[in-house]
Amino acid sequence: MDDLLADFIAETREMLEASGGEIVAWEADPADRARLDTIFRFVHTVKGNCGFFDFPRLASLSHAAEDALADCRAGRREPDRALVSAVLAIIDRIAAMVDAIEAGEEFPEGGDDALIAAVNASGETLDTDGSDGADDAASPPLHAPASALIDRGDDTAGPAARRADTAQRTIRLPVELLDRVMSGVSDMVLARNDLAHRLRQAGNQPTIDGPFERLTSILSDVRDAITRMRMQRIETLFGALPRLVRDLSAELGKQVMVDIDGGDVELDREMIETIRDPLTHIIRNAIDHGIEAPSKRLAGGKREIGLLAIAARQAGNTIAIVISDDGRGLDEERIAAKALATGLITHAERSAMSRDKLLNLIFEPGFSTAETVSNVSGRGVGLDVVRQNLEKVGGSIKVASVPGAGTQFTLQIPLTLSIIAGLTVEVGPQRFAIPQSYVEEIVQASAEALDFTRMGEAALVTFRGNRIPCLLLADALGLEAADSRRELTLVLLRLASGDLFALVVDRIHSHGDLVVKPLAPAVMKSGLYAGSTLLDDGQPVLLLDVTNIAARHDLVSDGRARVLQPVEDEAATVQNATRAMLFTDFAGRRSAVRLELVQRIETAPMAAIDRSAARPRVVIDGMILPLVGLPDTPLKGDKLRLLRLSDGACELLHAVREVEDAIELTNALVPVPEDPLVEAMTLVDSKPVALLDAHELFARFGEPPLAAPGARPRCTLPDSDWARTILAPLVTAAGYDIVADDTGDTGVVAILFEDVYEVAEALGRVPQGPVIRLRDHPEEPQARGTIYRYDRDGLLAALAAARHARMAGGRKG
Amino acid sequence: MSELLVIVQIAGRRCALSANDVKSVIEIGAITPVPRTPDFIAGITALRSQSLTVIDCRRALGFEASAGQTDHRAAVVASGGHAYALMVDAIEDITTATAAPGQVPGGFGAEWSRVATGMIETMTGPALLIDLAALIAGPEHARGEIEAAV
Repeated sequence: MDDLLADFIAETREMLEASGGEIVAWEADPADRARLDTIFRFVHTVKGNCGFFDFPRLASLSHAAEDALADCRAGRREPDRALVSAVLAIIDRIAAMVDAIEAGEEFPEGGDDALIAAVNASGETLDTDGSDGADDAASPPLHAPASALIDRGDDTAGPAARRADTAQRTIRLPVELLDRVMSGVSDMVLARNDLAHRLRQAGNQPTIDGPFERLTSILSDVRDAITRMRMQRIETLFGALPRLVRDLSAELGKQVMVDIDGGDVELDREMIETIRDPLTHIIRNAIDHGIEAPSKRLAGGKREIGLLAIAARQAGNTIAIVISDDGRGLDEERIAAKALATGLITHAERSAMSRDKLLNLIFEPGFSTAETVSNVSGRGVGLDVVRQNLEKVGGSIKVASVPGAGTQFTLQIPLTLSIIAGLTVEVGPQRFAIPQSYVEEIVQASAEALDFTRMGEAALVTFRGNRIPCLLLADALGLEAADSRRELTLVLLRLASGDLFALVVDRIHSHGDLVVKPLAPAVMKSGLYAGSTLLDDGQPVLLLDVTNIAARHDLVSDGRARVLQPVEDEAATVQNATRAMLFTDFAGRRSAVRLELVQRIETAPMAAIDRSAARPRVVIDGMILPLVGLPDTPLKGDKLRLLRLSDGACELLHAVREVEDAIELTNALVPVPEDPLVEAMTLVDSKPVALLDAHELFARFGEPPLAAPGARPRCTLPDSDWARTILAPLVTAAGYDIVADDTGDTGVVAILFEDVYEVAEALGRVPQGPVIRLRDHPEEPQARGTIYRYDRDGLLAALAAARHARMAGGRKG
Repeated sequence: MSELLVIVQIAGRRCALSANDVKSVIEIGAITPVPRTPDFIAGITALRSQSLTVIDCRRALGFEASAGQTDHRAAVVASGGHAYALMVDAIEDITTATAAPGQVPGGFGAEWSRVATGMIETMTGPALLIDLAALIAGPEHARGEIEAAV
């Protein structure tokens, strides 16, 4: 978080410096639209960045300024001197606050409201132009002169001076210089390699070998440092996203799960900065407009929790970042209507337009579908600016969407100079490089084992039970492959879209860091290559453009399927790898049971076990449940570990001597027909493990619990983190189901804090059922009938009493 | 008109390249072929840490590959931000132009007209001044191939 904060401060300060000139110019001519836009973007970005941090004062200041400027941009308000001065005062305040944040000091309270009022008020004094001068003279100016703002850097007093002591010493360099240094170092490495080659030929020369070794190690250090100078893992950007998503979804009352992939992709620091805003913007949009409210999602037959997937993949000189949500999708008709209304397209063009083309209109300047302006998604700084910013660095953005199923944004960002981890493969006499980020797995096996089949021109392999399309690299490139087809070397590649395919090569050569250089246009046009790189021996090698090659052979699913792909994949992998709970039973046998069945690990006192009947039973949570796995001999000790298994309706308990761990069963499952209770044997850490046959287990022993699950007593909790994290487990352990508090059912026990209860009482809205009131302090004599919230025994007793009362009531009724 | 020119032989003709365009002349090492590209692209080769696209100038003009030897040296040129190595029959000399480029009656022939800016008189005799970008773009049919492939 400290890094993020430092970034935020640096970015804000940088923008302040950059917009210094604009501020002066705007002050001189408030009607200047371009200046207005720049300053609007500044406050907008500050507001946006505040979303990452808890800076309510900064957020409200920038929000106020943004509101005022947005009005100007929309023509609802004329920028006048009073407004300019109020906005500049806010910018001054932002600068001062940022200084204070960096120094770790509290910024003096107060004053914000006056500034915000000034911005809002100046709109109302619009018509009193004549009095402006008088006003200015009467009241001291709200802001420092703009020129003073720019000179802040040279100011030796105040926050600026303090900053110099604390901040890490840095300088800014032109990127071209870094490029030159980097290519110089690359040249040096090659020269070293050449020299090494010659030295080997000349034989051992101790006087030279020593210094040469030193040179080598220094060089590799320098190379590392140079590389790091420019590169940053995209993680630094992605790291902040879960928090952002969490905060946004909380704010908007939505439930969103974020799935981030490819954080280890490295790219230019500069590029990271370039995509930070676009990415944030798209995520905001996705949560605000894309993903529906939970109730709406349930009604639409979707999971309550929306999925937002963000994946980065590197291919030679481009990085693809795919942001997909499973929300409501883009509304084609609304986009069309909006585009027509704003005059972007004509009716004739509309009817000729494909859906895809139409959707991509959202990137046109002046387009924004948000009908209501919320705090979250922006208003003027829209997708057009996102696209502009990306295009400025030679990138692009596309959108694909299926109504009701989701939206997918694909950002392509170039890397003119990059170092990527790559795999070098051989086909015939030639080598090619594949970006490591695509490589899922390397498989070497016989054609039979992989079930290699040719279907017409296409080929398929079967791997881990999945049929995977297969492409022979030699065919794709029109090369002669080595003739041995008995042993296949497959590189499984996962595309950014989530599609998987296998590439057949002759041999794997090596893997390592590759410096990717751009290729001449005539070579790029072939669509097969993403760049070139030099191996250590100085030999140039072509880097394959995996995405394009796959697309060319129709191995990429279309946008429709792509949106849904990750979800399906997820489900598939969960199914493929059997997760199981590993334990040792009382016979000393290592066994496993499928993890989906295991509800909980229980510890029951011996007294809860009844062995009098033919089948043992155990009492858990007031329910009598069947118990299996007990030894024939009497039990020692006074407690028993049990696995609570459920098939959804029935529950049973399996006694275990020791619970080991949740594991993944990766080895083959060998059926064991002679023991009906064992589904299969498998190997875990090279030792045999018996996987229990759940079907047989429940068929033999399962019985619905005497108290049906729906009959469990229910309870509502206060709405607080404390209740959810600390109180809830206790209440659940006492045998209650926790329900949302809108049931209005008399059978539901309500736990409330005393203050809430008093309010409810005053409003005449006391819950129907039994109420347990909690108080915050151990001693509070005047409040009768309340329980201190950490009084465990008291709480349990109250819950038990409420339950008995209910059961008694139930019997009566 | 004291422009420096590099005189090379392509398909048996004397051609002139502007010395400003020619970065260096290198010994051509191993060439890595690039599958599925037009045949005038001989491959890529390494110049220090840079990679060069090797252009077979005969084929780039639309002629068949030479029966005879090509020069073991290549002229390194830059065009459109990319570096190329030009494979020619021979690299002759550096010389000075003595007049502005002009046309000859009857033209240079279909293949040559596309890449030739004009005839230029030099200290060592007349030569065809080559338009580098046109040369590197390759012959019409190859460009057709590229587009078909895209």
